[in-house]
Amino acid sequence: MAKSYLVLEDGSVFEGEPFGHRAPATGEVVFSTGMSGYQESLTDPSFRGQILVMTYPLIGNYGTNDDYCQSEQVHTRGLVVREYCKEPSPMYGGHTIDDFLKHHKVPGISGIDTRDLVIRIRTKGTFKGAITEDKEGIEELIKKLQRMPSPSESNLVEEVSSKKIEKYNFGKEHCVGLLDCGEKSGIVRDLSKWFNVTVFPYNTPADVIVDHKVKGILLSNGPGDPSHPAILKTTARTVADLSVQMPMFGICLGSQIVGVAMGGKTYKMKFGHRGSNQPVKYRGKVFITSQNHGFAVDENSLEGKDLIADQINVNDGTVEGLRHRDLPLFTSQYHPEASPGPWDTSFLFDEFAKAAKGGRR
Amino acid sequence: MRKDYKKLMVIGSGPIVIGQAAEFDFSGTQACRSLKEEGYTTVLVNSNPATIQTDPETADSVYIEPLQVPLIIKIIEKEGVDGVLSGMGGQTALNICSELAESGELKRLGVSLLGTQPDAIAMSEDRELFKETMERIGEPVPLSRSVTSIQEAVEAVKMIGKYPVLIRPAYTLGGTGGGIAYNEQELVEICARGLAYSRIHQVLIEESVLGWKEYEYEVMRDSKDNSIIICNIENLDAMGIHTGESIVCAPCLTLSDKDHQRLRTSSLKVIKALNIEGGCNVQFAFNPENGDYRLIEVNPRVSRSSALASKATGYPIARVATKIAVGYTLDEIPNRITGTTYAAFEPAIDYVVVKIPRWPFDKFRTVDRHLGTQMKSTGEIMSIGRTFEEAIMKGLRSLEIGVKGLDSMNFTNEEIAEELVNATDKRIFAMGDALRKGWTPEKIADITKWDVFFVKKIRNIVEMENRIKSGPLTKELLKEAKYMGFSDEKIAELISRPESEIRKERISHGIIPVYKMVDTCAAEFNAETPYFYSSYGTSTEAKKDDKKKKVLIIGGGPIRIGQGIEFDYCCVHGVMALQEEGVSAVIINNNPETVSTDYDISDRLYFDPITLEDVLNVIEAEEIDGVVCQYGGQTSVNLAVDLEKALAGTKTKILGTSPDMMDVAEDRRRFSKLMDKLGIKQPESGTGYSFEEAKEIAESIGYPVLVRPSYVLGGRAMEIVYSTEELKLYVETAVKVSRNHPILIDNYLTEAIEIDVDIVSDGKDVYIGGIMEHIEYAGCHSGDATMVLPPFTLSKKIIGDVICICNKVASALEVKGLLNIQLAVKDNEVYMIEANPRASRTIPFISKATGIPLAKIATKIMLGKTLKDFGLSEYKEIDHYAIKASVFPFLKLPGVDSILTPEMKSTGEVMGIDQDFDVACYKALVAAGNKLPKGGGVYITVNNADKERVLPVAKELLELGFCIYATKGTSTYLRENGVETTTVFKIDDNMKPNAIGLMREGKINLIINTPSQMSGPVRDGHKTRRLAVELEIPFLTTIQGADAAVGAIRVAKEESFQVRSMKEFHKL
Repeated sequence: MAKSYLVLEDGSVFEGEPFGHRAPATGEVVFSTGMSGYQESLTDPSFRGQILVMTYPLIGNYGTNDDYCQSEQVHTRGLVVREYCKEPSPMYGGHTIDDFLKHHKVPGISGIDTRDLVIRIRTKGTFKGAITEDKEGIEELIKKLQRMPSPSESNLVEEVSSKKIEKYNFGKEHCVGLLDCGEKSGIVRDLSKWFNVTVFPYNTPADVIVDHKVKGILLSNGPGDPSHPAILKTTARTVADLSVQMPMFGICLGSQIVGVAMGGKTYKMKFGHRGSNQPVKYRGKVFITSQNHGFAVDENSLEGKDLIADQINVNDGTVEGLRHRDLPLFTSQYHPEASPGPWDTSFLFDEFAKAAKGGRR
Repeated sequence: MRKDYKKLMVIGSGPIVIGQAAEFDFSGTQACRSLKEEGYTTVLVNSNPATIQTDPETADSVYIEPLQVPLIIKIIEKEGVDGVLSGMGGQTALNICSELAESGELKRLGVSLLGTQPDAIAMSEDRELFKETMERIGEPVPLSRSVTSIQEAVEAVKMIGKYPVLIRPAYTLGGTGGGIAYNEQELVEICARGLAYSRIHQVLIEESVLGWKEYEYEVMRDSKDNSIIICNIENLDAMGIHTGESIVCAPCLTLSDKDHQRLRTSSLKVIKALNIEGGCNVQFAFNPENGDYRLIEVNPRVSRSSALASKATGYPIARVATKIAVGYTLDEIPNRITGTTYAAFEPAIDYVVVKIPRWPFDKFRTVDRHLGTQMKSTGEIMSIGRTFEEAIMKGLRSLEIGVKGLDSMNFTNEEIAEELVNATDKRIFAMGDALRKGWTPEKIADITKWDVFFVKKIRNIVEMENRIKSGPLTKELLKEAKYMGFSDEKIAELISRPESEIRKERISHGIIPVYKMVDTCAAEFNAETPYFYSSYGTSTEAKKDDKKKKVLIIGGGPIRIGQGIEFDYCCVHGVMALQEEGVSAVIINNNPETVSTDYDISDRLYFDPITLEDVLNVIEAEEIDGVVCQYGGQTSVNLAVDLEKALAGTKTKILGTSPDMMDVAEDRRRFSKLMDKLGIKQPESGTGYSFEEAKEIAESIGYPVLVRPSYVLGGRAMEIVYSTEELKLYVETAVKVSRNHPILIDNYLTEAIEIDVDIVSDGKDVYIGGIMEHIEYAGCHSGDATMVLPPFTLSKKIIGDVICICNKVASALEVKGLLNIQLAVKDNEVYMIEANPRASRTIPFISKATGIPLAKIATKIMLGKTLKDFGLSEYKEIDHYAIKASVFPFLKLPGVDSILTPEMKSTGEVMGIDQDFDVACYKALVAAGNKLPKGGGVYITVNNADKERVLPVAKELLELGFCIYATKGTSTYLRENGVETTTVFKIDDNMKPNAIGLMREGKINLIINTPSQMSGPVRDGHKTRRLAVELEIPFLTTIQGADAAVGAIRVAKEESFQVRSMKEFHKL
């Protein structure tokens, strides 16, 4: 049986078996605790540049199905599992995750004691890591990993954002804009209940968006560092400009960019929040949310600013949502569009819709 | 926020019955501890003495009283209770709370109901209301109609449009009386039964979703409408088999995230609509063809599923539900597993959990083994693995049904076809055999409606078997097999090598198990909780605690007939005693219902099968100093000798009585020799190696004789035979006799009084914990017998003899710990029946009745203390009576005769305790579910020997206002002696009036029928007994039993009894 190796920058090596596409890969090794929704995660652009470890040991049980894709590509650079399912339940069509990864040319490694791996990440923080079948080259690879810049140092958003303005007509009266930093298709799906949607590349200037006469703007999720120079120069500026002109709703990376645009600061978390069970307190109630982020807004940095952190993670107290004191601007660090994850916070779209329909304040 | 209450009451669930097992000891105990943490004064009521929750430490006042509304009211009034928790004692407690609320008593008493409210109970229990509520919130339910008559049922089927239909009685336990009807005849039959069982005489006729997938969601909600899912559960067996009868896994493995979210969202809508504050269980049927779903059922309380979900995730549902009930919200309750997070989150797990039911069919050879909508299983096991195959293989060997994994049952193709269509407890083994014979997984899935995903996992196991068999057993292959959950024993069997060799080889390859933690969060946070399972991988999380001495207590495994919650009680007491002595207590067990597998109990909990391999692995990983084998019933006793052998030369010792002495007690020959040496009488006996030999022995002893196979322990297949013909029948049908499998023949002491004694000894001194006299004559299994503590007919001399025998035996067996002795008294002579140097079923009963915690004391003695340290010696008199009565599963298990025999049949027990003998009897009988009549008719038919003795009983019944019916012989005798009777025909005469007709007409409310000993008790009066079971008419088969019942009836009529707490009894 062929062997494959997961190598970490600290020198740890895990032996496993290759599946999916047979090629080496490097990336930031992160884990998700979601027990279902592997396909949604793989195709979530926010995972760009990362090697995803699933903590659930059986992955691919119900196969794959086009309906669950959040974008047209697999964005993770690799997938690490305890066991992948070769013969899934036929309930959803029965394509295997092995074929899915092969089709998208992304390597997987199975047979890894993922819990062991996750405990290391939890203890030391996320690692740079690699998947390789070249046993001899491992030592060299470790050195390379140590030298390698973190994937979030490059402009990952550029890689996943749409390149041109696209309009989607859902037969609705009004149109809202979606500033695409790496949007999941679930967001458009949820917006489409209310609006036609115009998708703008992440670096679209505010005046272009205003010209499109959208009633509000949604700032999407996406990969990487919200304080990346390329973002500060473009998206953050657009956000600052638009905030006074129309209702705005930021999701995940979008939330962080709003924080930065309004003068706040962000930081890289030890190992982030990835999964479908994060509790968030909002207006006195707790909601279970879907999350995928490695950066967060520093609540202290908001002191004296116009943003209030009105949503807080029950577990660790981190910022889960921002709201402007005066403007119709709010955000969620988590994913109200779910996909994967709970649907409990879909009311945020209702709130956005109400604000957008109300027009400018 | 915490609300103010003066005193809160937790109601338990009573005796263990099918559908209500140890899970409510777990939930009630958690509830009490949770309330205590908040500083509330607590009162606990339960009739089951074998529970941890009835320990004096659990609540401020503990009442062991029947769970009957009038008694509960007495306790509420006496204690000044101002709040009652409704959801911790299963359906029993929920029904009591409904009754208390409906009758206005709660209002009158000024008591609040905490947790599930009456309207929520009604909305989820009343089918029609449930349907309306679901329709209101737009959630789909199967087409259905509630009916109260058979005619309405027929009309309901017309409305639904097609058979099959489901019949579900309202307000019953575990689906009692329900069924599936494929035609009108079946409909009529099942409805008649269902209507009879329903508390409100109502059944639901429902559209069939047979063959759909079944999923369950465990939900929690608080007063702020924060709601979360603790766990979802996938039933491998499709709709049509009760979830309690299904093999299930957690989390759901074959649902896409989208469908999971649909069901999750629906569950949250449901708990909100029912306005439940606390825990609830929501069951769905899911159509794999098109993704449609239907809401099937909601349990508005903690349940067996929630116990499973608690153990499967580490999330303490009962504890949190209790906090919610007193006003807290989820975000205010800390998650004690992580210590840093809160109860407001959804557990993420990183393993596969499998639950397999444990059925009592090994005990009941005549029972219908088919699985359906009625629960028949008595218990269950849970297993945890990192692969599905590992979890299922661990699960199968945890069952203790004599399999090492997915063993072949050598089914033929015909048998396989039958098993797959009409499932019994053996279906999974039939699947294995089908795959071995080359059936395709698709075909098997198609017949069974299992998702083929799971069938293919089973096929992986079969393929691994083949690879192991075709060898060679390389390191790689061995590793793969271990990852798949193959035990050393199974691998050894496949290649005909000794298990010890495989173990050695495995260890030499460095293939040793790692221990992973159950932490609610898939390792996202650092967890402190010492709750582990074994698997194979690259790192272990079980840290060695080197400072303290470590003792492993081997648990009791799944609850089955003969091995109930009593052993879990003993294990938990063992843990507490170890901790009191500063020793680290480690538990290995696999029963998810129990208190012993609550992660809060021991210092470290290993959730694993209890086999030699698994136990040794834990011993090695933990570097255990001592092992307690006395407390887990047969499960742990059976391991003692092998463990001692395997541990020879290591530092680990078996604590207490030596395994060799345990063997002396188990081995008939060695034991008889010892009794002869000690001068203790035993019933005459012999061993027969063929029918002829057995016959000779039986004839020389003289019939009746007690027969049993020599190779089975625990009374299985034990019978009394009255003649050579019956002996012949026994060897032909029940037990094959051969050179290797002889049968044991004992003189059956007719009309002897049987005695049970529980003893603690430190190897030098002896303390008699209690002497219990059976009400039934010897020959009724002690697990079934009604027992009285202290003895109520024995003379001082006999008691002296008993004490003397106990001393002799304890010292001869060098007992260090517990010893149970069973004796029989006949013609003023005491005979030894058996001695068991281990925890017995009656340990908790005696401990509760006397206030002396025997299991704790015995544990401390195993650690080196002496009886003197506790100031205990000889025998302590008590100033009250404690009566143990048993409950039987006859209603749920058609085909099982209700007559009591040497083979145990009861599932659980209750205790009646009072100063007055008759009141204690009353409490015991009522608590055990007997519907004691206060008037009406009594049917008496007794054998000749009993005629004289039944006379005073009949006289008293007449005095109490009963009308007496009797068959000719009995009737004539009674009349001659001045008791007026109505003569009825025998059943076999086929003439009216007869007992069956009168019973159906409701004219007979009590039956006294002592079987004629010449004809063999099993066949005599079978029809009457069966009907009595169905109509719930008390049926007494002994004069002593009748005597006790009549005393109890007098008490019931006078209603002049009081309630007393354990503290008051023991003046603590």
